[in-house]
Amino acid sequence: MFKNYLKIAWRNLVKDKMNTSLNVIGLSVAFAVAILLGMAALFQLSFDGFHENGASIYKIVKTQQTPRGPEAGTVQPAPLAPSLEAEVPGVKRITRFLQDGALAIQGDKEIDMDIIWVDEDFFSMFSFPIIKGDGNTPLAQLSSVVLTKKAANNLFGSTDVVGKTFHLLVKGKEVPFTVSAIADDMVAETNLDFQIAGRFESHADYLDNKEQWDSQYHDVYVELEKGVSSNSFESGSRGFVDLHFKDAIEMLKRDGASADENGRYVNLELVPLADVHFTSLKNGYVSVSRSLPYLILGVAFLILFIACVNYINMSIAKSAKRLKEIGMRKTLGAQKKQLFFQFWTESLFIFLISMGIGVILSFVFVNDFKTIFNTQVSVDMLLRPSFLVGLLAMVMLITVFVGGYPAILMSRLGTIQSLKGKLQSTGNNKVRDVLMVFQFGIAIALITGTLVLWGQIDYMRNKDLGYDKEQVVSFPLNGKRNSNDVIELLREELKGNPDIVSISGADINLGLGRDGSRSSSKIGFEYKGRSVTTNFLVVDHEFVQTLGIEMVLGRNFKNASDSLGVVINEAMARELGEEDPLSAQLEISNGVHIPVLGVVKDYNFKDLDRAIEPITFYMSKEWGLSYAFAKVAPHNMASSYEALENTWKKIEPNAAFLGSFLDENVDRTFNREKTTAKMVASGSVLSIILSCMGLFAMSLLIVSQRTKEIGIRKVVGASVASITYILTKDFLKLVLLAFLIASPVAWWIMGEWLQNYAYRIELSIWFFVAAGAIAVLIALLTIGTRTIRAARVNPVKSLRTE
Amino acid sequence: MLLQLKNVFKWVNTGGQRIFLLKDINLEVEEGEFISVMGPSGSGKSTLLNVIGMLDTFDEGEYHFLDESVHTLKEKYRSNLYKEYIGFVFQSYHLLDDLTVAENLEMPLLYKKVKGSERKALVADILDRFNIVGKKDLFPSQLSGGQQQLVGVARALIASPKLILADEPTGNLNSQQSEEIMELFKKLNKEDGVTIIQVTHSEKNAAYGSRVINLLDGRKV
Repeated sequence: MFKNYLKIAWRNLVKDKMNTSLNVIGLSVAFAVAILLGMAALFQLSFDGFHENGASIYKIVKTQQTPRGPEAGTVQPAPLAPSLEAEVPGVKRITRFLQDGALAIQGDKEIDMDIIWVDEDFFSMFSFPIIKGDGNTPLAQLSSVVLTKKAANNLFGSTDVVGKTFHLLVKGKEVPFTVSAIADDMVAETNLDFQIAGRFESHADYLDNKEQWDSQYHDVYVELEKGVSSNSFESGSRGFVDLHFKDAIEMLKRDGASADENGRYVNLELVPLADVHFTSLKNGYVSVSRSLPYLILGVAFLILFIACVNYINMSIAKSAKRLKEIGMRKTLGAQKKQLFFQFWTESLFIFLISMGIGVILSFVFVNDFKTIFNTQVSVDMLLRPSFLVGLLAMVMLITVFVGGYPAILMSRLGTIQSLKGKLQSTGNNKVRDVLMVFQFGIAIALITGTLVLWGQIDYMRNKDLGYDKEQVVSFPLNGKRNSNDVIELLREELKGNPDIVSISGADINLGLGRDGSRSSSKIGFEYKGRSVTTNFLVVDHEFVQTLGIEMVLGRNFKNASDSLGVVINEAMARELGEEDPLSAQLEISNGVHIPVLGVVKDYNFKDLDRAIEPITFYMSKEWGLSYAFAKVAPHNMASSYEALENTWKKIEPNAAFLGSFLDENVDRTFNREKTTAKMVASGSVLSIILSCMGLFAMSLLIVSQRTKEIGIRKVVGASVASITYILTKDFLKLVLLAFLIASPVAWWIMGEWLQNYAYRIELSIWFFVAAGAIAVLIALLTIGTRTIRAARVNPVKSLRTE
Repeated sequence: MLLQLKNVFKWVNTGGQRIFLLKDINLEVEEGEFISVMGPSGSGKSTLLNVIGMLDTFDEGEYHFLDESVHTLKEKYRSNLYKEYIGFVFQSYHLLDDLTVAENLEMPLLYKKVKGSERKALVADILDRFNIVGKKDLFPSQLSGGQQQLVGVARALIASPKLILADEPTGNLNSQQSEEIMELFKKLNKEDGVTIIQVTHSEKNAAYGSRVINLLDGRKV
């Protein structure tokens, strides 16, 4: 019987080649995309999820209340971990964790390797399986190290090296280490990856920092005893914090920091291991967000959904062609169950073929996918049994619903009606219509999203930020020399170059430079009995003119020694609330009153998702500068850039030149938006293509079903246009309905999203009209070709076929 | 007695009016009869045949087939009953286009869960009996109408039913082909003792039967 099902399924699929290939192509693409996106999302979600003790392991974060607001940091001082273990109850195991690079020397091989410096318990806390050597306490000796299989092969050319010795270059000296165990190779989804693991006490900086509570340079992971919650640990550690961070707390108090709601200045907080990958230290707080992987999963499901809708709709539409067969089989004694299985087998066939092709496609495109979406997924992931089983289970599940629904509909048809070739009810069409509205709704919403995202990115790129971003190069002062001296040297060297207009410096960059680092600095002080907060920027005296910021009041710094005053922006002037801001005297540090020299026009010194805050420029030799800014003439910009690079090389021969124009820096700050836009755009393109494939197949079927009707209409005198209109209007109605439903939803979501930006575009109606128009136009093109052709056929011909 | 209809009514409600498709039909059929049902279009011939074939239900009355009361049976048992005892022949043959002649013949056996080897034997048998061995791997579209109907009759016979229901079996055939099919029916009735009920418009075809039932507006006349 089953063989018979398969045979008939195969013949049916081969017979209707157009329909079958549309189905298979659509489903394969959807499967491939869903596999890739699903892998990317699962890859993210499974980070460090494989550790057996993972549920009770936490990363320690220290938060402190500074005068600039709360600050959270994951780096800890060396004595913290052993003291915590000794003094705070509830700690089962604890390890310090320092990721580093080191030169490994073995014979005449010298290889730069990733090394982690950890405590003895590291391998009992985390599940990195030891495949050779001491599996229980591989790091019992200070000179012991664990190598991964790959590292051992690289270094020794074999993995049978337990007990062998090699050297690591520590502070310029070769120090011998003994291999105590070999660990299995790393999986990609861990933040704790290493090639060599050694004892923390053997790290070069350990001896100097052993007792230093104010020198922070490594992470700490703690495993709590059974039954101890992170909350009880956090409250239990308060006395410990007060004891060991006494000096730091005093300093914070002195600087005018305000305590948190519990009256505390420094706290230890625990971040669960599973959350570590999703943790960001936003605005000084620890925040955990998994929304990106879930968004990716959501897109994957939407695309799969659209393809499945196509399949359901096509199968139902196609069933009209098979009424005779259904009826005949029933008169020959087929039961509902048997018919159901027959149709379901056909679905299973299509789905298995599509999934096979989908898997192949995802193999082929995995590398492009990785570069476009910046993810680490690998082909190995695809081959893991758990993934394959999951995939197969998913396909089965989809087949049950997507293949089962039309199968049930078909097997339920009455015998006589189907023999006569008439469908009993119009109920099926309602399901079809709802599904198609859904489909196009998703496509329209995604198109709208793409348009709005592009609009916002374009707006941010072109907005006048209040300073000159096209002609200014910034680069980090990452050399050994004193920063103020470097600025002076640069000025001196480049004086003769007519293309370099001016040079200055500041301690904070604008946008995101090539060094990939961003910072912000804020202070608070008392002004006329109330506290005032302002961003704080240490500058060089030519900062304002170099960046082309407009002065509105007073004067700029005159020269390098004009440091007994500050320049503020309009927002700061408003914050001070003085009629004449130039009369204000700021008491930034105790007892010293600094006059306001001038006021500059507001400019966007932070990302466009924030309103312009008060800022104060201050000149100070001690605090130093971190970035140089050079304004170049509008012509020969490439050679000016080269001149800057060469001069830098001359002044700081050992430091890399990481200069970039400020407009590039600003562009880099919305990388995230660009990736999201790319994703939503590809999602919308895919969804509209898939929806239209469904629409196309549907129009084919409808046209063939209505051949007789078309013929009759033509015989009584209908024109080609009116017939095209009749055939098209039903579908267009659905697309328009989808537009009406999707637009408010898209409007709401995009409105919420734009709320994240202080500077944003208006959600004009044209975004929605454009998205709707695009969808209608594409739908029209899809249906149009076939319907016009059908409408032009000679009626005698179409009537004869009936 | 093979089957018995007692006071069978079938109706549809249209716009508050009840239109009778079958009205008070009483019919007894003995094994070995060859009955022709005649009447103008819309008189309920096909409906009656469908009711007898259990493909259609009725609204009132009783239907006994062999010893079973069909009107009380659930659909599943009804389908077991008709696939065991009844074979259908249609005016437009209703062969499945995607299956070869042999596969079309095999299909009723599949649904009766006949074993593979036995199926092969039965199909070979009937191909032989109808002299269409040479056509077994052809698809219906490659055959003439008469040949298709021949396959249709063969398919109806393959599961050795007691009763064959034929709805205008020669309606789509020319006179020579019609004659061949009617001769075949006659032979089956005489030699194999198969009971046959056919719907026909043609007096000539009706003459092959042993009894004629005339219908008018759903009523026996």
